[in-house]
Amino acid sequence: MRAALALLALLPFTAAAAQDPERLRETEAALKTLVESYGVSGMEAPVREAVRRLLPAWAKPQVDTAGNLWVTAGRGEPTVVLVAHLDEVGFEVTAIGEDGALEVTPRGGIFPTLWAGRPALVHGGRFSVPAVFQPLDSAAASSGDPMSLRVDVGATSRAQTEALGVRIGYTVTSPKEYVRLAGERVTARSFDDRVGSAAQVMAVRRLDPEKLRHTVIFLWSVREEIGLEGARAAARSLGLRPARVHAIDTFVSADSPLELRNFAVAPLGQGPVARALDNSSVTPPALLDSLVAVAGSRGIPLQVGTTNGGNDGSAFAEFGVPDVPIGWPLRYSHSPVEVADLRDVAHLAELVQAVAERW
Amino acid sequence: MAAQSAPSPVDDLARRLAGLSAVTGLEQQLVDTLLSLLPGSRRDRAGNAVLSLGAGASRRLAICPVDEPGYVVGHVRADGYLTLRRSPGRPSPGRDAQLEGQRVSIWTPRGVVPGVVAVRSIHLTRGRDRAPGTFTVDSGLVDVGAGSEAEVGSLGIRPLAPVTLHKRPHRYGRDLLAAPVAGRRAACAALVVTARRAAAEQGMIPRRQSVVIAFVVEEELSGRGLGTIANSMGPFEETVIVDGGDGGATTSADRWPSLGRVVVKALPVRYAGTPVETVALSDAERLAAELAAWIGESR
Repeated sequence: MRAALALLALLPFTAAAAQDPERLRETEAALKTLVESYGVSGMEAPVREAVRRLLPAWAKPQVDTAGNLWVTAGRGEPTVVLVAHLDEVGFEVTAIGEDGALEVTPRGGIFPTLWAGRPALVHGGRFSVPAVFQPLDSAAASSGDPMSLRVDVGATSRAQTEALGVRIGYTVTSPKEYVRLAGERVTARSFDDRVGSAAQVMAVRRLDPEKLRHTVIFLWSVREEIGLEGARAAARSLGLRPARVHAIDTFVSADSPLELRNFAVAPLGQGPVARALDNSSVTPPALLDSLVAVAGSRGIPLQVGTTNGGNDGSAFAEFGVPDVPIGWPLRYSHSPVEVADLRDVAHLAELVQAVAERW
Repeated sequence: MAAQSAPSPVDDLARRLAGLSAVTGLEQQLVDTLLSLLPGSRRDRAGNAVLSLGAGASRRLAICPVDEPGYVVGHVRADGYLTLRRSPGRPSPGRDAQLEGQRVSIWTPRGVVPGVVAVRSIHLTRGRDRAPGTFTVDSGLVDVGAGSEAEVGSLGIRPLAPVTLHKRPHRYGRDLLAAPVAGRRAACAALVVTARRAAAEQGMIPRRQSVVIAFVVEEELSGRGLGTIANSMGPFEETVIVDGGDGGATTSADRWPSLGRVVVKALPVRYAGTPVETVALSDAERLAAELAAWIGESR
């Protein structure tokens, strides 16, 4: 049965592939809004507010003490949790030098060479200060030592930098922009996990909460990139209650000529991916079969694959909650130029909605 | 919050020019812009933008190089990825590595097509021996979102199309501008503003004098632009070269005695040759004032 379902999942769904252009436009608008908000781990407020603004009036979102955003829909058991993370990789200011430049350390996994010698933004409470990442000297570029990255805000002394309002603990990113490539391909930084966040937003907007057969919790979590911290807090607060958790997060794909293609081969444009095995979780086979069946029942193309990385759903493991993560194929993860396919994003939103309504 | 100074004509123009492409030998787009900014100017046989002011026999020349190191599309692969070829010219160690994992612009006759230079996903390096190698242009693959050679062609992309890092001039500090070749672009902006003023103000050029203002091509390669001016319009009593950073144009000027006495006015830059080459716009304003004084000098 399972093999048959997996095969079915890989078959093209021509009806679903011909997506409603209006639905694609709506999905793209939500994704663009979220991508062009900034939220390094620990400073996700701008993204959280963007999600809140996109939600329908009935949602009545709540923010917990960790900073996670919750929307609870439906009534009764079982309780199913869907979780996408709000944060993105970036840097934290650790010191301000005598020369006014900022010492920074990464938050999340990055190649520092991709940031050196690039425009920068220092994010404070309610404002951003434009700056540049200083170029690495050749030795640091070879070693890839992120500790050697420094940020120039255009000041020449610590006092000048402080006068700009910059403080230790602030975060640093580079300016970003959502850009359409050929066809339905899109590029930007922080698709991981603004795509998941956007898919959940679209699902909430489209579903009728009165028609849900049980409780569904949509969670937008914080600090995933630095150790699933927000999800851990949510898992502790829910304890044994959830019957199932679905992390809605990136499927890092080997769909690129630079990657070894011995696993993680999920082509872009062929639908969301059941993230059956990664570094943090293994999906129970029966639940994988069920996910494939749910997708098939709505004509949603679904790929099944294995990749690297962890996911928020694994934070629920200590309470015995099965994790059935769902992703979408992404190229060039955690780089300034992540590439996704808009059709996959729209299908992911449909699948999230289907999971909430039918499973 | 950073208190940035109010934009001036030089400021605005420097940002505009810093957002344009002029890969060595393929400078047409930037030259077209300069011609539109300078009424009465013309494109000469080398592709330079040239403006002649005054009718006197005593002739002086002011030039600014416009070109920049860059890349062209070398080949379109069957899977829709583009390979790159470095533009010829002075070698620049480390420049190729600036492309990895960055957005680029492919300049086609139909407009700019966005692309990205592929980079390995950090998640997929976990637990593997294969460490990221040094990026070179030969390992560069550009993803424009296409899945086939035909789809790339439908975007108007052909081999030899110029490719540059995506230009997004970035202001920071009080009056700093960061962009690829920001120094050279700001220097050219100062010369454009001065030329427009000289063209508009009757009497700025002293009697019995004339000034040629030229924005020259291929300075990073053969000096074809400057050489053509020297050989077709010289001799000059004096030549002022404006540029950013080390002013690469000075190396070729000695080859043409008809340029007369050569003076270099180079804007100081920080992080030269990087995507965040930085110039102070107040320096560019001062350069514009110096150039205006030089044009108005009686000889």
